[in-house]
Amino acid sequence: MRISVSINRRSYSADVVPYRTLLDFLREDLGLMGTKCGCEIGECGACTVLLDGKAVNSCLVLVPQIDGHEVFTVEGLSGENDLHPLQESFMDHDAAHCGFCTPGVLMSAKALLDENRSPSDEEIRTAISGNLCRCTGYTQIIEAIKDATKRRKSAGRRRVARVRSEKQRRRKK
Amino acid sequence: MNAFEYIRAESKTHACEMLARWSTGASVLAGGTDLLLTLRRSNGSSPKAIVDISEIREMEGISARDGSVTIGPLTVHATIERSECIRSCAPLLSIAASMIGSPQIRNRGTIGGNIMNAATCADTIPPLIALGATVTLKSVRGSRRMPLEQLFTGPYVTVSEPDEILEEISFPKLSANSTSAFIKLGRRNALSIARLSVASILVFDGKGRIREARIVPGAAFPTWHRISDAEQLLRGEVPSVKLFEAAGRTVAGAMIAETGRRWSTAYKEPVLAVLVARALQQCNDLRKKERKVR
Repeated sequence: MRISVSINRRSYSADVVPYRTLLDFLREDLGLMGTKCGCEIGECGACTVLLDGKAVNSCLVLVPQIDGHEVFTVEGLSGENDLHPLQESFMDHDAAHCGFCTPGVLMSAKALLDENRSPSDEEIRTAISGNLCRCTGYTQIIEAIKDATKRRKSAGRRRVARVRSEKQRRRKK
Repeated sequence: MNAFEYIRAESKTHACEMLARWSTGASVLAGGTDLLLTLRRSNGSSPKAIVDISEIREMEGISARDGSVTIGPLTVHATIERSECIRSCAPLLSIAASMIGSPQIRNRGTIGGNIMNAATCADTIPPLIALGATVTLKSVRGSRRMPLEQLFTGPYVTVSEPDEILEEISFPKLSANSTSAFIKLGRRNALSIARLSVASILVFDGKGRIREARIVPGAAFPTWHRISDAEQLLRGEVPSVKLFEAAGRTVAGAMIAETGRRWSTAYKEPVLAVLVARALQQCNDLRKKERKVR
């Protein structure tokens, strides 16, 4: 069957067999290996992606179910030359050790920050409670997400300041 | 995963027609958080067709009218957890929804799927039975409505025919003079399966006595039902720790009477008694808190 889907803001049209998971489609058909295949029963969260902005386990979604929907994977986080504030923050806080859980954790964190710009510690813990990490003990991950919210805010502030100064310059002219 | 025919149902009627055509060969796909696991277990019994109902918007959402609340079976747990309507007129259901699986599972798993899968550990069923929920099953042959507890005949078994879908869940709103609690005991907090759970509702009269009690344990019996012996014990009484403990012992006794002594009884008997007492205590504490606010 034929499906049309937006993945990382790019439109795809593909012929697929229905008896496959979104996870297999991403990794094997599209070569997007960032999304990891862990337990395949929805318990580890390594395969977390955003489906219409919500964090879901891609191992529990059938390919035909994404027809007409929007999927966002870890590959869509960074721009061409810059990292997402979450990625920068994860590096600065050593929030990745073996790194296998990291793409999934990043997507859960993104879903949280898209909805809530200043989450509490408790809200951060709940948001990543479906992502299993066996190296970090979670502390660095939580610190990194907390720090990323500040980066987002300051990045936003910088952008606002830039726009204002540009407006003022135009007025002077 | 074995091959199957994939059918995306456009409407309730379409879904029923497809199920009537495929009969026992078809499985219904809603959130997929349980079905995908069965599909991957290729043991020969996999379905020939999947009827995907997840895009039928009319089967989704929460509405409150007059004294009752209606929930579409495709409403996901995350929506139920956050719904202001559910938080105010059925708080115990919102609590139960917030404890299911993980955020990823709650974004995808539906209340209808939780009911129709009929796992003894299902978190939303004890609260719904305590609320007095009724369900409507629909097929090309018509619709039938029944109290939720009559839907189940055993673990993972319901009275629904292969051509039927769950159309609607509804229950009366809790009155202002009642409080509710849901306690789940798992091996950890996130992504845990209920080892035992308790849903309880207490209705108080003007003098602070218990007018009505409802207690529904989860994962303790083959199917779910209210424990009338314990409920009767509480009726008309003044709330106290001793009373709640006695009710807890009665519930644990009812469990042993129905399921017999098993390897897990030494653990489950005292723990269920304590969970029931705690749930009732929570209801009572909430009443005191609400009275202070007023």
